[in-house]
Order: sequence, then structure tokens, then C-alpha cells
Amino acid sequence: MNLALLSLAIPLFSGLLLLLGGRALRTRTTGFIAIASTLASLIAAWLALQEVAAAGTTLLLNLGGWETGLAIRLRLSSLSALLLLFTALMHLLIGLYAGLSRAGINRDFWALSCFLHGSLAALWLSADLFNLYITLELLGLTAVAMVALSGSKAYRPAANYLILSLAASLFYLLGVALLYGRYGELDVLLLAPRTEADVITRLALLLMTTGLMLKAALWPLHLWLPPAHASAPTAVSALLSGLVVKGPLFILWVLWSEVAPPTLAQQIGPVLAIAGMIALTAGGLSAMRSPHIKTLVAYSTVAQLGYALMALGLLLTWQLPQMHIALWLFVIAHGLAKASLFLAAGEMQASLGTRRVDGLRGATQTVPVAMFAFAVAGGSLIGLPPSGGFLAKWVLLEPLLSQPQNWPWAIGVLLGTLVSAAYIFRVVALSFDRARINPPDINPDRVGHWLALLPALMVWGMALSGEWLIQLLAGGGV
Amino acid sequence: MSPELLPDLTLILLLLIMAWGALYAPQRSDAMTLFIAFGVVVALIWARLDAPDLALAEAAIGAGLTGVLLMHAARALPDELHRRNRTATYWGALAFAVVATLMFLAHLLTDDSLLNAGLLDGETDMTPRLRSLADATMGDSGVEHPVTAVLLNFRAWDTLLELLVLLFALSGLRQLFPRESAPDDHATSRWPESLALMAAWARVLAPLLVVTGGYLLWRGSSAPGGAFQAGSLLAAAAVMLRLTGLLPPLRWSSVWLRLAVVAGALFFLTVAAITGIWGEGWLTYPAAYSGLLIISIEIFATLSIAITLSLLVIGEWEDLRS
Amino acid sequence: MNTLPLVTAIELYLTLGIAVFLLSLHGLMTLHDPIRRLIAVNLMGAGTFLVMVSLARRSEVPDPVLHALVVTGLVVAISATAFALRLIIAATKADRRGGKPEP
Repeated sequence: MNLALLSLAIPLFSGLLLLLGGRALRTRTTGFIAIASTLASLIAAWLALQEVAAAGTTLLLNLGGWETGLAIRLRLSSLSALLLLFTALMHLLIGLYAGLSRAGINRDFWALSCFLHGSLAALWLSADLFNLYITLELLGLTAVAMVALSGSKAYRPAANYLILSLAASLFYLLGVALLYGRYGELDVLLLAPRTEADVITRLALLLMTTGLMLKAALWPLHLWLPPAHASAPTAVSALLSGLVVKGPLFILWVLWSEVAPPTLAQQIGPVLAIAGMIALTAGGLSAMRSPHIKTLVAYSTVAQLGYALMALGLLLTWQLPQMHIALWLFVIAHGLAKASLFLAAGEMQASLGTRRVDGLRGATQTVPVAMFAFAVAGGSLIGLPPSGGFLAKWVLLEPLLSQPQNWPWAIGVLLGTLVSAAYIFRVVALSFDRARINPPDINPDRVGHWLALLPALMVWGMALSGEWLIQLLAGGGV
Repeated sequence: MSPELLPDLTLILLLLIMAWGALYAPQRSDAMTLFIAFGVVVALIWARLDAPDLALAEAAIGAGLTGVLLMHAARALPDELHRRNRTATYWGALAFAVVATLMFLAHLLTDDSLLNAGLLDGETDMTPRLRSLADATMGDSGVEHPVTAVLLNFRAWDTLLELLVLLFALSGLRQLFPRESAPDDHATSRWPESLALMAAWARVLAPLLVVTGGYLLWRGSSAPGGAFQAGSLLAAAAVMLRLTGLLPPLRWSSVWLRLAVVAGALFFLTVAAITGIWGEGWLTYPAAYSGLLIISIEIFATLSIAITLSLLVIGEWEDLRS
Repeated sequence: MNTLPLVTAIELYLTLGIAVFLLSLHGLMTLHDPIRRLIAVNLMGAGTFLVMVSLARRSEVPDPVLHALVVTGLVVAISATAFALRLIIAATKADRRGGKPEP
């Protein structure tokens, strides 16, 4: 357990020290320290994963050594270890881009990035409802701070995001208060067997779900996301879409698959699954119609989260805990692919000097590597084999195709695939239009483009480790 | 309805009226003033519900510091585009809130689950299980005051993260003052020359606040008080001194300021790491030193809370620029 | 103060908390001015804390766990509110400089 905590503590310490150092440290040194700490955290997370895999069960820790029920408990399952690893990996990839690409980034990015990393780690490990509330607040504040890095054009979407984020946290907190009032527990594992399907519990769960859906930008509470993610700096958008919205999703999953009584879970399952289907189609259609590149990518996040929502909904409806494998494979595949998509979009915007999708004409000639990254990442989002996205989709589709009465859901998934293909092809087709090329403003930044490609290559490499991933998620569970 | 409920009913009615006003008063400055008054009434309610720690914190933070924040906002944005909120919205708000509230009240009166809940099997004592564990273990916590024991020992991880919340909010605020911007961009946020009377009053009040804050910090181990209450009083003193110009700008470029801001979280995290790696466990205080550790953590935390809150409330371009 | 009839007063305060929460939620959804929306969010917080403190008062000696949670919540609320308010001011100024209409 100490390794996991180390993975959590290293970024927090680094962030604090970077803040302390301030301008005394040169920008290069700041970036170097941040990336080094991310790497150290990655190694610690990898070792923690080995530890959990070897132990074979979930590891629990009572903070402060107090007895179970009094202490805040931390939980290290193979999933949380994997998420720790994933978080560190994403921060490393995006940090390398931020540090090495010509565009560079505001020096304040580094401390905030370390803080974001630490907040997410604290969230993955926590098994206490109120502690999760605080991690949500940490996450929200850091995310807004990072959006504000863009400068004054980002202030309005950031302010809107913050207000809604605070309101959502309070919904969640009120729900926690009611659950504590009803059952006298805050620990997830102790609460789980005690919950009953009565009015107060329903109300509490409803409140918490509303808050979490807003924070995770799940349809229909997603409207804040496109402006916020589109106006943030490129590296920040990648972190936001790839990681930040997944935190509340994790809590939502823990809430409904563990804390809620099965009867209530089965009632809400279909609702979530249908919301997921609508997210896929509505988000995809908005992406198709969007004139700006980054807004297109942001709407793609809304759409892709629909898959996660469907996986969660169907998991609850049929009470198949194994479907969480699909959910988390989606999260990882989407995170990597979305990072690549945003980084590539940012690079192309910078090189071609345009924010519009039309400006990508002939991009395969002017900015080939970045366009390739976009296409490869897009392929994973669509679910082309053998990418990570395909793996996740296949695990989701298997139970859907096995029985005829589940085919409507399968059709929903396939519809989503078609819509994703549509907006990806929209961009790729334009880029092949070599008749009317949009000439680049500046020479493409080779390093930046290749770094943008890296996450996309990794998500396609996911299929190689697919068997191991599935076993890890299946065996460990929560 | 017994007559003992009269003060409660008065407070409740007062609160509802103020909430309404804070939301729907035509002038924004009226709304802000009512909101500050709302904070004061809430502090009274905390006192009425036997929550002295909260009353202290609410009065300082909710009424005091939030008030300064809002007043500053009122100055920075003097005109509000007057939007006619349709009357239907008001009545809609009332109807919606009343209906839902009545439903909740009806549920409370018919179903005992929330009021008598969390019973330990077979007992009739209205004590949640978590709480009873806390009561039983209080003696081992190193302090006598239950709330402090919970905050700094049983649920210390929450408090550590909370110190980080303050820090992250300040980090966010700093992004609004980029190095490239000139003082003129922030000109309207300058504080006015204050009245001589206020300066004189500040000179008397500030030391009192500092002493009271220190007292609350020390007292927190055995009676209501603690790091947050003390920190917010100190922040109030700093705000007052800064407003009257008696305190020069706190400069972010100074490493001492940065150290003060970071000290609380850094110390707490270091204690956690040391106990985790070389001790019995993460945040497990050694039994003999728990009281001492708690007070040391609280001292650093008070310092950080005071400075961070002051910067959050009145930090300006001179204080915060990179 | 300790003679207040426990059950009835607590029910009243619990209900008050929910009422304030709902009232401010409606305000959040219908008001346009960002500062009023921020006030609404703060009121939602106050409502939530009212619920928590009333629940704490169910027993003769109030529940220190809930009190500790509310202290934490108060500090979180002020931090976030301070940041949000400054952000709103900065956003409004930026909109004015850019000539955009305010929400």
C-alpha cells in the first residue's frame, strides 16, 4: 500500500516544492522536476500494481490506524492500481508534449499538473464518501485553474464551469449527509451491505448521481464541457478530457455498483444506458456540425462518455459486475486517444494558423504527422481493430450480441460507432483535399507532432496487452 | 407547538426571507448585503444547535470574509445590466420550494428512519455507529475536544486535503494575474483611501484579533476552537490592516510568503510520509506524541490558512503577480 | 438552550435546510447574473450544512463527526467562492474589453 501512497505523495510534494520555488527556479528546471516526479510516480504505480496482482486481493488501509468504521479507509484494488498507472502515464505523455514542443506552456502549468495528478490519485484510492467529496473539490479547482491558464478568453467558460462544479459538489455532499444520517457510516465497504431501498436512500442516491453526472459531463448535464475544454491550452484540454471527467465517473460506478441496493441499481440501469445512447448520437451530431476543431474534439468526449455510461447502465441492469471491464477499458482507451486527438489538433491549429475545421484542407501534405496522429487516434475512438477502443467495444458488445433481446442495445452501440466514424472522416477527408491546400503559417514543429502521435500509438498497442488487461480487471475486480 | 420553539421559528423565518432576498432582490448590492446578513443568522443558528466551533467559523468566514469579498465585487463591477426577472419566476421559485419542502417534512413526520437512524443493533440511543466509535476512542486521540480529535486525528487525511483545497484555490487565483499584464488592467480593483477612523479602529482591533486567534488555536485541544477558527480570525485581521493600508502588499515574489502559504500542507504531508514509511502507518501518530503532533500541525496550518485566506480575499496585483 | 424539544426543532431545521437548498437551486437555474448564481451556490451550501448540523443534534451531545465535516465544508466553500468571485470579475472585465455582451 505504501507504494500506491508514494505514487500519490510524490506529485503532491513536487507541486508544493514547485510552488515554493516560484520564480527562483528556471522554467526548464520547473518542467524537468515535474516530469521527473511524474516518472517516479509512474514507477511507484507500476510496482503497486505488481504488489496487488501478487497479493490477489484488494488491499485496505485504515488511515491513522484507527479501527474500521472510524478511520478513513484507502483501497488498492487492481483497478485502482491500474488507474494510478494510467494517470501517471497520461501526465507523463502530456507533460513531455508541454515541455518539449515548441509552443511550450505557461510555467504555472507544472505545479498545477502535479496537483491534478495528486488529486486524481487521492480519488482512485479513497473508499470514504466524504473523503471522495474533498477529492472532487480538489479536482474541480485544479481543473478550473488550468483552464484559466489560457488567459482572458477562457475566463468566462472557466467561471461557468466552476459555478456548476460547485453546485454539483453540493448535490453530492447533501446526498452523503443524508446517507450518513440514515445509516451512520461514511465508509463505502461498510455502507454497502446496510443500504435499503427506502425514500431517504433513493433521494440521497439521486442527489449524488445528479452531481456526479454534471461533473463527469454525462448527457444531459454536459453543456459546460465544450466551451471549457475548447478554450483551455492544448495540453490542459488533453488532461481534462482524458482524465478529469473520469474521476466522477469512477465515484458514480462505486456508488451504484457497491453502495446502492441492487433493486435501486436495477431501476436506474436502463436510464443510464439510454442516456448513454443519446450522448453517443447527440454528441456525435454536434461534433459533426462543429465549425471549430477543438470544439469538435470536445463534443467527441461527450459522445465517447456515452459508451462508458452505457457500459455502466447495462452493468447495473443485468447485475453483471464483469461488465466493468468494458467500462474501464473504454476509459483507458479513450483517455489515450483523446489526448492524442487534442495534442494533434493543437499542433495543427498552431502550424496552420486556423481554429476552423475547414482550415485543415490538405493537412496530410502540410502537417502529415499530426494528421496521422489525429486519424490513428480517431480510429481507436471509432473502434477499428486492433485498437484499444475496439477491445473495449468488443467486451461491451459480447453480452449484447449473445442474446436476441439485447440486440437493441447493440444497435445503439453500432449507431454510435457510425456517428463517430462520420465526424472523424469529416476531418480526415478534408485533410486529403490536396487541391485547395491551406498553407501553413509556420513550419510544423516536428517534436510536437511526434509527441502528439505517441499516445495514439499506445492506444493501438493496447490490443497487444489486451489479454493481460482483461485478466487484471476481471481477476481483481474491486 | 411549544413556546420554546419561538426563537427557532423566528430564526427560520428570518433565514428564509434573507435567502429569498439574497437571490431575488432587484439591486445586486441589496442581494449581497442580505447574503452577509444571512451568514450572521446562520451563525446564530449554529449557536442555537449547540455547534460553537461552527458558529465561530461561520461568523469569521461566512459572514466576515465572504462579506469583504462581495463588497469588493460590488466595487469592481458597479453597474449591473438590469434584467427583468419575470414574476412567474418568483412564484415558480416559491411554489417549487414550498411543494418539495412540504413533501420532505411530511416524510420526516411519518417515517422515523432519518431521525432515529444509524441505531446500533438493539439500542435505542440515537448515535450513529461511526460516532460511537469516535466517542469510545476519544481518549486515545491526544486531545480532549471531540471536534479537534476528529479533524486532526481520526479524519486527518480529510484535513490535509482541505489545506490543499485552500492552496489550489489560491493557485487558481494567481492565474488571473499574469506577469504580462500591467497594473492598469487591474486599476479598478485598487482599494480606496480609507477613513482615518477605520485606520484607528484597525490599529486597536488587529492586535486583539491576533491574540484571540492565538487563544483559539491553543484552546482548540480542549474546547471549541482550533486551526480553522484561529486562521480565519488572523485572516480577518490581515484583511483589515491591508484595507486601511497599514499592511504593505504581501509579495508573492518573496520566498517567505510562499513558504508561509505552503507550510501547513507541506508539514502535514511530511508527517504523513514519515509516519507511513518509518512509523506504524500513514498518519498514525505515535501514541506518546499525538497531542504534540496535533498542536504543531495546527500551528503551521493556522499560519497557512491565515495567509491563504487573506490573499484569496484581498490579494491584488501587487501581491499575487508571478 | 438544552431544553429545546429535540424532535420537533430538529425536524424544523432539517426542513429549513432542504427548503434553502431548493430555493437556491431554483435561483441557480433561473438567474443570469453570475454573482447571484454564486450567491445561490453558497446558499445551497448553507442549506446542506443546516441539514448536517441538524442531524448532528439528534443526540443529546452533538455529533462531533458531522461538526468536523461541516467545518471542512465551510473552508472549502470560502476557498472556492473567493476564486469563483475573482474569476467572474476577471471574466466580466475581459468581456467588456472585448465588447461582448454580459450574460
